[in-house]
Amino acid sequence: MKINITSDTAWGDEFLERINEDGPWANWELFKMAVQIEEHLAIPEFEGLQAPKHLPQLKPLPHQLEAAKQVVENMNGKAILADEVGLGKTIEAGLILKEYMIRGLVKKVLILVPASLVTQWAFEMNTKFHIPAVVQHKSYVWDSCDVIVSSIDTAKREPHRTIVFNQEYDMIIIDEAHKLKNNKTKNYAFAQSLKKKFCLLLTATPIQNKIEEIFHLVSLLKPGHLGNASLFSEKYKGRGTAINEDHHLKELVNTVMIRNRRADTGIEWTKRIVETVIVEFTPSEQALYDAISEFRPDNAVGIGSTFSALTLQREACSSREAVFYTLRNMEKKNENPSQEFLDKLDNLYAKVNEVEQNSKAEKAVELIKKINDKVIIFTEYRATQLYLQWYLKQHGITSVPFRGGFKRGKKDWMKDLFQKHAQVLIATEAGGEGINLQFCHHLINFDLPWNPMRLEQRIGRVHRLGQEEDVRIYNFATQNTVEEHILKLLYEKINLFEKVIGELDDILTKLDISNIEEYLIDVVGDSRSEGEMKIKMDNLSSMIQFAQEMKEGKKHAATGNP
Amino acid sequence: MQQQEIHDFLIKYFQSNNCEIVENNSGYFVVQLTIEMDKELMNRPFYWHYLEKTGGEPNPMRVTMITDQMKTPEDLKGENIHFGSPRLHQIFESTKRLASFIRLFENIKPFSGGQYPLFPWLCQNVKVSYKCDRKKDVFISVGLNLITGEILENFHNRILNLHVTPKIPDFSYTLSPLIMPSSGLNRLDTYIRRTFEGDDHSWAEEAVKRWDNDLQLLEHFYEEMEEKNETYFTEKEALRSQYEPKINISVVNGGLFYLTEKAI
Repeated sequence: MKINITSDTAWGDEFLERINEDGPWANWELFKMAVQIEEHLAIPEFEGLQAPKHLPQLKPLPHQLEAAKQVVENMNGKAILADEVGLGKTIEAGLILKEYMIRGLVKKVLILVPASLVTQWAFEMNTKFHIPAVVQHKSYVWDSCDVIVSSIDTAKREPHRTIVFNQEYDMIIIDEAHKLKNNKTKNYAFAQSLKKKFCLLLTATPIQNKIEEIFHLVSLLKPGHLGNASLFSEKYKGRGTAINEDHHLKELVNTVMIRNRRADTGIEWTKRIVETVIVEFTPSEQALYDAISEFRPDNAVGIGSTFSALTLQREACSSREAVFYTLRNMEKKNENPSQEFLDKLDNLYAKVNEVEQNSKAEKAVELIKKINDKVIIFTEYRATQLYLQWYLKQHGITSVPFRGGFKRGKKDWMKDLFQKHAQVLIATEAGGEGINLQFCHHLINFDLPWNPMRLEQRIGRVHRLGQEEDVRIYNFATQNTVEEHILKLLYEKINLFEKVIGELDDILTKLDISNIEEYLIDVVGDSRSEGEMKIKMDNLSSMIQFAQEMKEGKKHAATGNP
Repeated sequence: MQQQEIHDFLIKYFQSNNCEIVENNSGYFVVQLTIEMDKELMNRPFYWHYLEKTGGEPNPMRVTMITDQMKTPEDLKGENIHFGSPRLHQIFESTKRLASFIRLFENIKPFSGGQYPLFPWLCQNVKVSYKCDRKKDVFISVGLNLITGEILENFHNRILNLHVTPKIPDFSYTLSPLIMPSSGLNRLDTYIRRTFEGDDHSWAEEAVKRWDNDLQLLEHFYEEMEEKNETYFTEKEALRSQYEPKINISVVNGGLFYLTEKAI
């Protein structure tokens, strides 16, 4: 076949000039050395990895090397890296990027990551891979540097947007790509319209809730690989996920996705030691919880009211401050409050005021003192976070807050403060993603999210590669509350905490529960009696267990029949 | 490249550039840079600019480079150099830049007292890169006799063992080329192109297959869209830049070698 051959004429032109000028001519030793270098740097084969010999101080794990090889050799440089949390997806991405840079196939690179990870990515690329990645902080950086790390929120905004679209990127890397599962969002549209010669999408949870999510993710990478939108939804939507189709889909997805599981890596992981800490309400706390449980904002029934009633109950398990904050918001939102509504609120405010202590916070202080080491506390609520900060200070315990809303610099700074100066980091849910805290191995779940995947992400912040200690997880739950129900009836039954639950997302997908959180709200909120709720929860947990056994059974069958 | 090779390479590099090696141990060495080499490597233009403006005493750096941590005293401060480290690659680039063009004469002892003629050869060391979504390089060295038009491959290795000198030796004289250097360059370019056109290019065929495959998927994805949007064309263009097979010829270095008739 006819191939386009180009040669550079610059050398020839300058050479003729040197002949005219009679020099200057190079030193023979240097000349020979230049040839020797070129022979060393020439890439002898299309296959294989060059990067490892350029990175002698990096000790990649076998599964990371294999992933890099797969992407370069079989996936043509477009892949979803979907290892479970903590297996080192960044290392894989770095290896692949380095490989392409060494081979001269990639020069301009755009790395899009959550704001909290920008500095860390740039640091890792520089120190571990000698890739001169630069943090985007001023608009001129886009033009003047080849490898840029930025948050997607910055990149998609003007004036950056126009500049970004004018660059010819050879490789785009997007971290936490599951955030692009919804094709209706602006971020998705932005990622879709970027020119993707080579592209890596990193996510620990390629499917969180719906099977469509994987379609959108793959279509971002390789449009058409899973068919077009209408065909895909015709095939999979509403029909559950019948095994055969599922199998076919899986195979197709696996040609563009690498998913290593902890269990398969052969790495010795430190253990997770889980302890449930049941806390008893004081009478005044109990009174608040009971009043909240009785409370119906208005007389309407339906998901909305169930949802807010449950939210309040969950908040009452966390702190009175959280309850108060939500009540105030309800009051503000209601433009024409009835007298009845206001009376109900006043009654609740009075109950809030009567609470004179937070039993969980007391327990936490006791525990933190006993641990006498670094601790992370997760809570779902801002108000609780603020309260805890104040409360710990009263007891002479140093703490730093952490939230998703923090600017990048502040996040780094907080992490640094925690590592060097403070004993406790108090993080809200949104702050859970994107920070790596393997220097800490005690984690308190002050309250529990109603989505197991989010829990896994919390734990993943500390239980990851580089963690040398066993990780201790303390789950706080208040006795006889919705919280205890969720913990005892669901999370403990499916061994959520001990097990390495990388497969949980698959399982949930198989069960076709489109949104586990909504489902749980249904179960807990709309059951007429505790008995009914228990039965429903039991059903759910045995479904999950069953799906799990099926999966394990299959695996055994597969290994037994090579 | 092994650490020992790197060590030897660096020593040779600095010596060839007239830098004094102050200390040379098996795991590390200390080099006193010249002003030129400081400017070449240390990346401190402001310092040199300032010095030139104020007329101060130039103070080029003294640098310690560690090539084997194990053989180095623990408290020694220096730069760790290994294959892939930015410093080594900077020096690689510097070497190539400083050694792009050469002119040398073969130096032999005259056996009968008479003068002997030297034949001009035009040499090019070339890297040929096969590129699609993958990449491979082939290094070749070619030489063209500017009198006879003869072309020899593996030219660099053939002259490695000759005794050469930058100045024309006393008992020799150079023959004027019949082929002008500029047309010599063209001949070598044509020669290299022909050589590589005839090579096995199944790699390119495979790349085109992958390209076609992805194109079909793309068409399918946008099938229902009657008026294709910009994203479609961006994706299409991305596939071209990802897969299109190309061969790129780049000259590493080369020059004129004046050699005796029987030299190679």
